[in-house]
Formats: sequence, structure tokens, C-alpha cells
Amino acid sequence: MSVYKRTYHSYMGEVTPLRTRFLVLTRYGFSDVWSSRITNILFAMCFLPTVIGLVMIYVMNSDVAKLLLGAQNIRGLTIDQRFFFGVMQSQCWLALILTAWIGPRLISADMSDNALPILLSRPITRWEYVLGKLIVLWTMLSAVTWAPLLLLWGFQAYNAKQPWAAANLFIAGGMVAGSLIWVALLSLVALALSSWVKWRVVGTGLIFGAIFIPAGVGGVFNAVMRTDKGFLLNIPFMMTILWHRLLRVPALFFEQRVSLSLPEISIALALMCAACVLVLHRRIRAREVVRG
Amino acid sequence: MRERLEEAKKWAARQPYRLWWVQLRAVVRLEAKRNVLAWRSLWIYFLGFIPVVIIGLHTIVDPAKASGMGEDTMVLAGIFQLYYIRLGIFFGCLGIFSRLIRGEMVERSLHYYLLAPVRREILLLGKFIAGCITALMIFESAVFLSFTLIYAHYGAAGQAFVMDGPGLGQLEAYMGITALACLGYGSIFMLLSMLFKNPTPAAMIFMGWEFINPILPSLLQKISIASYLRHLMPVSMPMHGVLALLTVVTEPVRPWAATMGVLVLTAVVVGISCYRMRKLEIRYTTE
Amino acid sequence: MNDRIIFDDVSKFYGEVLGVNRVSLSLPPGITSLVGPNGSGKTTLMNLLTGLVQPTRGSISVLGMTTMDATEFFRAVGYCTQFDSFPKGVTGWDFVFDGLTLHGIGYEEATQLTKESLERVNLGEAAMRKVAGYSKGMRQKIRLAQAIAHRPRVLVLDEPLNGLDPMARAESLALFEELGRQGMHVLISSHILEEVDRISDRIVLMTGGYVVAEGNIHEVRQEVHEKPMQVLVRCDKPEMLASKMFAMNHCVEAKLHKDGGGVFVRTRDLDEFYRLLNEIAAEGEVKIDVVAPADDDANAIYQYLIGSDGGLS
Repeated sequence: MSVYKRTYHSYMGEVTPLRTRFLVLTRYGFSDVWSSRITNILFAMCFLPTVIGLVMIYVMNSDVAKLLLGAQNIRGLTIDQRFFFGVMQSQCWLALILTAWIGPRLISADMSDNALPILLSRPITRWEYVLGKLIVLWTMLSAVTWAPLLLLWGFQAYNAKQPWAAANLFIAGGMVAGSLIWVALLSLVALALSSWVKWRVVGTGLIFGAIFIPAGVGGVFNAVMRTDKGFLLNIPFMMTILWHRLLRVPALFFEQRVSLSLPEISIALALMCAACVLVLHRRIRAREVVRG
Repeated sequence: MRERLEEAKKWAARQPYRLWWVQLRAVVRLEAKRNVLAWRSLWIYFLGFIPVVIIGLHTIVDPAKASGMGEDTMVLAGIFQLYYIRLGIFFGCLGIFSRLIRGEMVERSLHYYLLAPVRREILLLGKFIAGCITALMIFESAVFLSFTLIYAHYGAAGQAFVMDGPGLGQLEAYMGITALACLGYGSIFMLLSMLFKNPTPAAMIFMGWEFINPILPSLLQKISIASYLRHLMPVSMPMHGVLALLTVVTEPVRPWAATMGVLVLTAVVVGISCYRMRKLEIRYTTE
Repeated sequence: MNDRIIFDDVSKFYGEVLGVNRVSLSLPPGITSLVGPNGSGKTTLMNLLTGLVQPTRGSISVLGMTTMDATEFFRAVGYCTQFDSFPKGVTGWDFVFDGLTLHGIGYEEATQLTKESLERVNLGEAAMRKVAGYSKGMRQKIRLAQAIAHRPRVLVLDEPLNGLDPMARAESLALFEELGRQGMHVLISSHILEEVDRISDRIVLMTGGYVVAEGNIHEVRQEVHEKPMQVLVRCDKPEMLASKMFAMNHCVEAKLHKDGGGVFVRTRDLDEFYRLLNEIAAEGEVKIDVVAPADDDANAIYQYLIGSDGGLS
């Protein structure tokens, strides 16, 4: 007869609630993203337009500042939707650079190191995995887009003579909506491409390529076919039109010549997002990547 | 001094040039096989041939040639200057040439080359030549096909424009510029991939540099591929807005000087890459 | 011509991290085992030897050559690294053959050498399959095949037994032994001490980037004075032998073998111990069958000099 000492016990302590468990990935994602010094530099750089905007708003609303700067009669600069559009555009393009840097860090590393099968063998689903990573990107990009833009709007509302805030509430709404669409698109594109290419180096290039190359192809299509439907591949152009409409900025000369409607642009952007979701659905699987 | 010269001559005579040639050919063959016929190069083929597909579509949907040959010549010039040079060849070369060294470090296979009895300079040159072969093969054929399709569309008139008119000269210029762009961008991206673990941000900064180059002082303009290529363009294009920056010619430069400019820049950059290659260490854990 | 591998005061720092420090070695032909815990600097030493990393200080020469003359150097050196990665899409045959073409070897001879090396590692049948589909053991073997294909005079092997099954391990060890006997330099790093111990002519023991011992295993063991030597004596009256041994002041421990047919004796003076054992045998009271050192191997030396925690004990 054998006597076995049963000394092993499974873990019986408290566990993180199932609903919020994916946030563990978010936490690790943040720590990985912030582990790079370049992230810090890029993140700080992203606030440059906001800081310049804050200074300009202060100067435009302060008679003392104008006097000190000897610029009592600043012509051509008014704090209106064009001003906010300029800052928003700068913030959003800086967000693209930040995305290209941090996006591939989130999934590519897991793919190339074969960490995905290990992570997905835990009680975390594929979609929770993606959501965990998406929250990292969404938070980082929000911090450099709509959050500082709202701050800027609030600062102007505080400094301007009333009823500026009430009359320009649409600018705040437009900036938040426009930024959120941009952040959602960038996050999905970044996650989809970094899940597709495995290597971070390639991922960074591909994110830039995914924005600029279709624009070029669209340009070729427009030139050869004598149409303007090629602009539906041009993300920078579509976003500019969208931001203009949301902020009620009068259309520029080149925009007036283009006959793209808002529903067409919305459908094109929605299709791009859907394609990214499809790529994520196909790529995020617990499979081993064999090097060779 | 004379003794040193004699010493150098003796050293040069001792070198195994035949072996180097055999090894160079072996490296080029191996690398070209890996680059040209790889699935992962598919996107570069896409970059190169998508205008060809679009022009092909155009010939189908516009059989009446409503657009006119003069207009199509400008369209082709636009495609070449704004798409091929600024996007297609730029990103294509980024993909091809940054893979040669950095890609192998990321995939942890570069050490096999470094453990072969091949001088690292030969290895680097072999890889660079293989990269050039890949890039030239894709983009030269794409530019040639784009040109051919545009004018073939016009039948006899198109043939006359090419054979008896300025067409052939334009084609030669486009082919030459494509080759120079591949060499120039290729050498720079190869060096960037040896200097940085992730060469893409540096390449994007370089893209910005190329974009603002026309408004820089003429001395700084010499450190740019696009500035030399601009002087060689066979068709000048009127552009509006920021795009005008990409085609503006600030001070005239003779074609041979512009060609030599790109070649010298390429040679200098490849020389620096050779030096970096000699000092290269394998530390895959930091990739 | 110099037939040695020489490390002359070699140090390597990765920024502030120490790789190896002040390593001076002169290794003659034969099999040398690099032994040490993880992170002790074994791979760094091998990478330094083959020029994959450059020393921060000091110099290295292999048979009188340095990596500056890559053409001559790598004709003489084959390195089977620990990196489990291969060029994309390559078959086993291509992997070995392509390497040989870089040597400048012609098609026919390269084909012959590829065949030969693949057969030596028993991979002839799988040669045309893609390496990406190989098992871990096969990948290890194909790397070994590539390292020996050009018939080098110096073979550097970083953990060459990892991932191999017992049969393949025995075959590989036999191959290394044969190459060592033929006068080749074989430098092996391995954690499987029992097996490398059997074939090694000398060991280099490393920890924390330092070389803590180097030389013939038996000589090294004798130099470890603070750990008395253990000898197993098989005899018919182990208790009597143990009591006699305890009478000697250099014997610090005597332990009966668990089968009761022998005794383990620990002694500080091995020569004196053997002299007394001879006397006991001559007296005829105890019939001695076998006398064998019980801790005179790489494993014991590793335990004594480095300890199970990897630090100097």
C-alpha cells in the first residue's frame, strides 16, 4: 500500500473579476509603451501645437500681453474654427507619428516572440486581447488629440467675452467627434498591421505606408481615369474634408473641385475600419510562429 | 613615401580578386533569389505595378482616346514625379534595402553570413547589388510598362510620338531617373537600417527632408536625392499648392552633373555602410 | 605555425553589463568544454572568438589568425551557434550548400561536401525539406552540418546537444570525439556535464564573466584543495576499511556505500591516501576490488567551484 502526502493545493485566493481581466493586458501594454525613452519624447512633442495654441489664445485675449509684445493690432489671426482646425490638424498628424511608434509595440512583439498562444491559453478571449491593446492606443491618442483640444477650447471660452462659448459649442463637439474618428481609425489600422507583419520595424513603416501609399494610388487613379473617386483612398484628404465639415470651416479651393459627399467618405472610412477588424480576426489566433 | 607605395602595390597584388568575384556573385545570387521571388516582396510589386494596372484599365474604359496625348504625357509625368519617385520607389526601396541587413538581424539569420569566409565589404556590396537588381527589375519594368501602355493606347500616333518625336528620349530619361532613384534611396535606406534598430522613423524624417529640400540653401540641396532627380525630369509640370514644392527647380544643373551627384552620393553612403559593416556586432537580444 | 586558440586579456562589456572580463586562455588542439551557469559568459566568449562581437579590450587569435582576415579565418573555423533561426524558406540542403558557395567552392565539390556533412549528422533524407518544418533536434543537426561542411580545423559548438534525443546525443558526442581525435580544435559549451565530461580533454570553468578554472579535469580537481577528494573503494570488509581510514588525520569522511560493498572516503592528501591503501591491501586483511575517484569529473568540479546557485562557493 502506498501513502501519498497531498501537499499541493490549487490557488484559492481572490481573482480579478472576469469582466475587467483584459485590463491586465492594458496595464502591461502601458508599461511596455512607456519603457521607451522615444515614447516620452514623442508624447511630449505631441503637445507642441497645443502649447503654441494656448499662448496665442492668451495673447489674443490679453491687452497687457499684446502691449508687452507690441502687437496691439494683430491682423489676420482670430480665434475661430479655422484656428482650432489648424491646431487639430497638427495634433492629429502628430498622433499618427505616435501611433506608428507605439502601435507595433503592442501586438508585433507578442507575435514574433510566440507569446500569443501563451496569453490566449489564459482565461482571456481574442477580443479581450484586442480590446486590452486597443485601450492603450485609444488612451494615448486621446491624450494627444481631443483632450488637449478641449482644454484649448475651454481656455478660449474662459478668456473670451461671452457668449463665445455658447456660440462656438459646435467647435468643441466637432473637434471631439473628428478626433475620435481619427483615433479609432488609427488604432484599428495600427493594431491590424502590427498583427499582420510580426516585426515592429516593418510595422512602423507599414503604418505610414498604409496612410500615404493608398493616397498616392488614389492620385494615380484620379489622374488616369479623370475622376475624383480616387480620393476615397486618400485618408489625409478625406479626414481634412470631414474635419472641415465638422468644424464648419469653409471649403478650400481644391475641396470645391472634388465632388465627394460626406456619406461616401463615411462609408469609405467605415470600410477601412471593417477591413482592419477582419485582419485582426484572422491574425489574432493562438498559433505558433515558426521562424525559418 | 615610395616604400609605402610599393608596399601598397604588393598588398594589392596579393589580394584574392578572383575569389572575391566568385563570393560576390554567390552573395548576389542568394540575396536576389530571396528578394525577387519572396512572398513578402509582393507588396513591392504592388507598389510598382498598380499604376500599370490603372493605366491598363484606362485603355479599356477610354477606347475613344478622349483625353488626348498631350494631356496623357502630363499625366505620366505626374505619376512618375509624384507617385513613383515620392512614394513607390521611396517606400519600395525602404522595404527592399532595410531588409538586407536589419531584416536579417530581426530574423536572427545575419550571423550565417558573418561566419562565412567573405570580407564584410564584399558581403555588403553583394547585398546592395542584389537589392538594386530587385528594385530595378520591379520599378524599371513598371515604368516601362506604364509608358508603353499610355502611348500604345494611341496606336500609330503614339508610335510616331515615341519613335520620331520626343517619346523615346522621355522614356530613356524616366528609366535613367528610376535607376538613379533606386541606387540613391537604396544606399540611404541600407545605411539607415544599419544605424538604427528601427529605420522607419529616420526614413520618414528623410522623406520630410526631401520634401522641404527645394526651399533649403543650395549647399544643403546637394544632400538630397530628389533635388538631383528634379533636374533630370524630361517633362516639367505646373503644380499648385504644396505639391509645387516637389517639382520646383531652384537653380539649373546640367544632367551629367545631376547624374554624377546621385552616383557620388550613393558611393559615399555605401562607403560609410561598409565601414559600419566592419564594426557590426551580432546582438540579437537587443533587437 | 601556431596551433592554439589564444585569448589575451580579453574583456567585453555591453554598455555597463559585463560579458567577460580579463580572460586569458591558450587552448591546444583537442576537445575543450566551456562549463558555467547561464549568463556566465560562455556564448560571449564564443562570439568573441568568431568575431560576431568585438572585444572591448585584449586580443584573440585562432591558429595565428584573427577575424580581420575573414577569408582565411572562416575557412579554418566552423561555428554552430545557439540561435535557433534560419534564412526564410530555406531547405536543409540549400542551407548547407549555400554556405559552401560563399567559401568559393565549386558546384560539384560543394555538392559532395553537402552530402557528406548531411550524412554525418544523419539528415540525408530530410535534406530537401524546408528547415522551418524541422523538429528542434533536426534544426540543431542541420546547424551542426553547416558548421562542419567545409571541414574546418576549429569547431565551435554552443550548446550542441540541446534538443537532441539520447540517441542523437550519443551520435553527436561520438562525432565530436572523433573530430577531436583527428587533431581538430573542438570547443563545446554545454549544460549536460556528464556527457561532455566523458569526451573532454580539458575544461574551462566560467562564472560571472570570469574564468575560474582551466585545464585537464583531473588536474583542476586536484587544485581544489578546500574540497577533499572523494574516492570509492570496493572491498569485502568496508566497515573495517572505514575504521582504518578514520585513523588517518587526512581522511575527513568515510561513508559506506548503500549496497554495503564499498566505502566512500574523503581525503585531503590523495597521494598519502593511496600509499596507505597499498599498505592495507598488502596486509591482506581487506580484499580490495576497485579503487575509483568518485568526484573527479566536470560535474563535481562545477558543484565545488560554482555551486548550484551559480556563484563561487
